[in-house]
Amino acid sequence: MKGMKGIDELDHYELLEIPRNATTGEVERAYRIAKQTYGKGSLALYGVFEEREASAIRDRLDEAWVVLSDPELRAGYDEQLPPIVAAPVGRVQPLTVDESAIVAGAAGGAIARGPLGRAEDAIVDAFDEAVEEYDALEDDGKGEFDGVRLRRTRMFRGYELDDISEITKVSGMHLRNIEEENFRDLPADVYVRGFVTAYAKTIGLDPAIVVPSYMARVQDSRSEGPRGRFLARR
Amino acid sequence: MMASAGLPSDPQAPGARAPRLLAVGGGKGGVGKTFVTANLATALARLGKRVVVVDVDLEGANLHTCLGVPSPQKSLADFVSEREEDLGKLLTDTPLPNLKLIGATHGNLADAQPSHLRRVRLLRGLRQLDADVVLLDLGAGAHASVLDYFLVSDDGILVLQPEPTSVENAYTFLRAAFYRRMRLAMVGHGVRQLVTLAMDQRNERGIRTPLDLLREIEATDSAEARRFVETMRVFRPRLIVNGVRTAEDVKLGFAVSSVCKKYFGIEAEYLGYVNYDDEARRSVSQRRPIVDLRGDADVSIYLQRIARKLIGLPSSAASTTAGSAAGGASADGGVASASHSVPPGGGMR
Repeated sequence: MKGMKGIDELDHYELLEIPRNATTGEVERAYRIAKQTYGKGSLALYGVFEEREASAIRDRLDEAWVVLSDPELRAGYDEQLPPIVAAPVGRVQPLTVDESAIVAGAAGGAIARGPLGRAEDAIVDAFDEAVEEYDALEDDGKGEFDGVRLRRTRMFRGYELDDISEITKVSGMHLRNIEEENFRDLPADVYVRGFVTAYAKTIGLDPAIVVPSYMARVQDSRSEGPRGRFLARR
Repeated sequence: MMASAGLPSDPQAPGARAPRLLAVGGGKGGVGKTFVTANLATALARLGKRVVVVDVDLEGANLHTCLGVPSPQKSLADFVSEREEDLGKLLTDTPLPNLKLIGATHGNLADAQPSHLRRVRLLRGLRQLDADVVLLDLGAGAHASVLDYFLVSDDGILVLQPEPTSVENAYTFLRAAFYRRMRLAMVGHGVRQLVTLAMDQRNERGIRTPLDLLREIEATDSAEARRFVETMRVFRPRLIVNGVRTAEDVKLGFAVSSVCKKYFGIEAEYLGYVNYDDEARRSVSQRRPIVDLRGDADVSIYLQRIARKLIGLPSSAASTTAGSAAGGASADGGVASASHSVPPGGGMR
């Protein structure tokens, strides 16, 4: 019966809740998140997994990381993996509920919504899908961006300013000033443009959309201020 | 005025369609279930849905207060005590035209929990209400009646807060709901008994986790085991983390979802979070939902997003504004025009 697997029976991908074709970046992200989730004193374990079990899960996570983060080891591991069995536990129907379900009213006690076990469907990793959906829910990445929206998106996607600073090598102070729109404390536009681009990329926003609208705000503010006109020019 | 409330109490009215039933629970009291329910109901109403929100928390009813409705004259207690058979007659108006309330003033505390038969009647009645969405505010705890509302709803939503007691209670609730659901799904008497046995965590067969239980069932009856797995697959609680202060708190939803998958083998979708907000707390004492009072506050934006997600609408900022505008202008527009502002169904597929 393939319906549900114990932690010991999960392969590295299932354990990390990622698809087999996950990129290295995705593997790393999943590993980082999982280590927190099953970390010592993690709130999410409360009353379900005991420390002994959590510790076993962490060991398994480390093992998975060692293998999947090394291209050679990963290739060897992938080779001996059995082919994906139809509808393993991670496979789910799309999580969204469509409008018609409401309008049509799903007559009767609709505990079982949607068709069951559509095994032919592509394997979708529920966690990734949830992350994607959650991100989409939070921000569609279109339209105008200001500091508040950037900060909100960052928080929503679970990045600390320090994380971004580490990745982009932009100082936390500049990043904070970008979010808080302390335009006076920011360096010349050409730098700000670079910072915002790096920031947007890091949290998964499209710089081509974010940067122009943000820079327009910077320039508006600067053309208002006394030093503005000078700084607004290149 | 009452008669034209747009919610005919005749369930057989032509064109009547069963509403979608959403239940909001969370095990622990004080995690903001009622706050979340009142605001989601308001947000959905402002998106043009015809919403009925029902206070099923017979022992701690206060949903009416959050919605700015004085203690209702008619209440669910009338249905429970069999004084009223027609739920449609228990509807109370709220300040929003397409949001109605079935309140739960304390009737007879002696029989606050309806009998099983009465619950079945109630659930049938709820499905016959003329509305797009019926939202249930469940009581605290994991009493059988609370679990049943949660299980028969199209969506069971768990509200939790980033604190140990709340998380623990949420799992207790989920565990109880999970086993109850499984027991209902099993056909054979023996297997049902096995599930009942497993509900006691210190049972003598050593069945500690849902996986242990499945293994036991597999050993007994493979058809039941398949049913078990299928039921697991469609058991989809959804999570909302309320009172979020840090990025760490935001991640709790993902973490709980992952633990649910590894422990219960179920997909618990993370619907979203609501940030901690003093103003939101004050809105309760001001007796108005925050999404109504301060639609542009962060907390309102998050609540509105969850509402949109529930009905599968895109979550762009532009449409949030449009939705609010439609809801805000509905003083004259009323139910009919508001529901027209939503694109007809079927387009999403």
